[in-house]
Amino acid sequence: MIKLVNVNKSFGNLHVLKDVNLEVAEGEKLVIIGPSGSGKSTTVRCMNFLEEPTSGEVYINGTQLTHKNKTEIIRNSTAMVFQQFNLYPHKTVLQNLTLAPIKLQKVPKAEAEELAYKYLDIVGLREKAGVYPSTLSGGQQQRVAIARALCSRAKIILFDEPTSALDPETVQEVLDVMIKLSQENITMVVVTHEMGFARQVADRVIFMDDGRILEEGSPEHFFENPTHDRTKAFLSKILK
Amino acid sequence: MIQQIMEPWRWQSLLAEWPKFASAFVTTLEIAVFALALALALGVVFGLMSTSHNRLIRIIARVYVEFFQNTPLAIQVFFVFYALPYAGVALSQVTIGILCVGTYTGAYMSEAVRAGIGSIPKGQFEAAQSQGFTYIQTMMLIILPQTIKIILPPMVNQMVNLVKNTSIVTMIAGGDLMYRANAFATNGTMSYGPSYLLCGFLYFLLCFPLTTWARRYEDRLKKRDIQTAEQLEKVEEGLA
Amino acid sequence: MKKLFALLLSVTMLFALAACGGGDGGTTSTGRTPADITAAGVLKVGVKTDVPGFGLLNTADNTYSGIEIDLANKIAEELGVDKVEFTPVTAATRGQLLDSGDIDMVAATFTINEERKLSWNFTTPYYTDAVSLLVKKDSGIEDITGLADKIIGVATGSTSMKALTDAAAEAGVTLTDANFSELATYPEIKAALDAGRVDAFCVDGSILAGYVDDTNHILETVRFSPQEYGIATKKANTEWAEYLDGLIKGWLEDGTMDQIIADNGVVASYEG
Repeated sequence: MIKLVNVNKSFGNLHVLKDVNLEVAEGEKLVIIGPSGSGKSTTVRCMNFLEEPTSGEVYINGTQLTHKNKTEIIRNSTAMVFQQFNLYPHKTVLQNLTLAPIKLQKVPKAEAEELAYKYLDIVGLREKAGVYPSTLSGGQQQRVAIARALCSRAKIILFDEPTSALDPETVQEVLDVMIKLSQENITMVVVTHEMGFARQVADRVIFMDDGRILEEGSPEHFFENPTHDRTKAFLSKILK
Repeated sequence: MIQQIMEPWRWQSLLAEWPKFASAFVTTLEIAVFALALALALGVVFGLMSTSHNRLIRIIARVYVEFFQNTPLAIQVFFVFYALPYAGVALSQVTIGILCVGTYTGAYMSEAVRAGIGSIPKGQFEAAQSQGFTYIQTMMLIILPQTIKIILPPMVNQMVNLVKNTSIVTMIAGGDLMYRANAFATNGTMSYGPSYLLCGFLYFLLCFPLTTWARRYEDRLKKRDIQTAEQLEKVEEGLA
Repeated sequence: MKKLFALLLSVTMLFALAACGGGDGGTTSTGRTPADITAAGVLKVGVKTDVPGFGLLNTADNTYSGIEIDLANKIAEELGVDKVEFTPVTAATRGQLLDSGDIDMVAATFTINEERKLSWNFTTPYYTDAVSLLVKKDSGIEDITGLADKIIGVATGSTSMKALTDAAAEAGVTLTDANFSELATYPEIKAALDAGRVDAFCVDGSILAGYVDDTNHILETVRFSPQEYGIATKKANTEWAEYLDGLIKGWLEDGTMDQIIADNGVVASYEG
């Protein structure tokens, strides 16, 4: 479904990804953890070419992503949920959800709205369809953003620290939606610090440090018996 | 000047020339409308170009802006009127007015557009890109509509300046409002008082509705923001 | 609607007030008498900067020369004033500068006519000119009848436009506003002639003489509408006007005026 081969990424002199190799299977729920600056966000952003690798290859469903074909492939295969929600502030919640389907997937407006209401139901925000995002709390905005990602009907949803910018009391409502989502046949790649979520949802967990994948395995392996010292140090700090 | 305004016979002689003032008013209006269309088009195109990732395109936009911002409009008009005929290009005064005032104002408008685009958070571009919008779609559907609130005041300033700047064609006998007022003020009875007063009043008639509309529109946008803030407070109170 | 009207009215008032602030205030409303000027020690004169032989500003050393400059200096001499302050004026600004009291007199190829006499006082003419046409040698224009479909460049606010229209009408040619381009200065009209923007340059012959070159010539056959140049002063200031008129009359009689004209290389006054 997603494949990264020898991916390197540099920002100027800063070498943030070093020979990352990774494969994500269809329907898999992959959680990426690691200290800040470890390259986990960059890894997930390389998967939809928000960052184009300095070298190496990225494949989506067997097709190699290039600068030329990225818009087309991204449009049909992946969606992303950001730390800062990034809803369109000049559009209502409903319009945020229907904009891409109408303009890009050429779905008729009525059909797009029907779909939007369906996903608003899933995230529990049907009654907010007509309001502007700025009237919503952070947790509500993020749930709308997840609904927006679902509306693209992409098989892959990338989550880049979806709860990091939220007030503590709204984190759980977003996680609940994501847990509900994990029961669907959607490939989810989630960068997060929420270890409880990782333990509950992940099929596989990856620990990144200094631009490299240091350790990977099942949640059980990770949280009960990590092999690497750095992983142990990180987990002991974060689980305290 | 004040004595002249008090003398009714001067106003009567002005009234006799009314059709000439009317046609000059139409000429000014014609230059203003077409120059405005040109300026808006150039403003958006060059504003977009100046935020491009392509260095060459950015340089082209920069050259355009710097050239027209840093040379007097009068010189540009004189050049086209007096010098271009030697190259076989003899444009009419009205055409010169539209071209010169349009390109001149376009340079200032493109700066406003550039600043507006620059003020939109990077996340908006990333959200659009992650949904698969092309560059043009991103700008037209998501970025530019959000810039309106920011660039409206400087844009309206430029529009009003544009209307007033059309009087530059008076220098090349453009037959516009200022030219007609000058002609009346300096010929015959030399009733400059009534002539310039009427002239100023007619320019006012053109500019005033524009600034009034802009102020109302801005107020409306502000009101929407205040409402948004109030609703947000209610939400927060509800949570507490 | 009522509100709008009130607003427009107040705007008009504002314009009027702003205009009022320009000058006409109390003490200067009648202008300075000769004695005032002598006492102040400076004579303020509005002159042309771009008319060879009459009023020309030499930008190299910032000095003025021409008939009107000599006249101003001579008047200052009569007043016993050491300093003459020259203010550049154009056809469009000279009247307002007089009215506002910024200058005492205008000697700037200012043609006397009945309409202008309503607004200002004029001395006896110190020079009489006639309007002529300067055209390109290859223009094919030979006389006034050749102007029907041509553009004629005139200075903003000059009387040449009306004079030429009248002269053309007598010759059976109708000229309208569309036949004229009013430009601010004579050099601009010359540039417009060179660029083919106008087909003829129409102004007083004495002025045209300064713009003749290899490519153009003055139409010898076209001389019409004698233009009498007078020194203009503020309408209310009759004492000053009479004083100046006396001086000019004296200089016309004793040959001083002819000498000044000759000194500046200008052809003698047009006669009949």
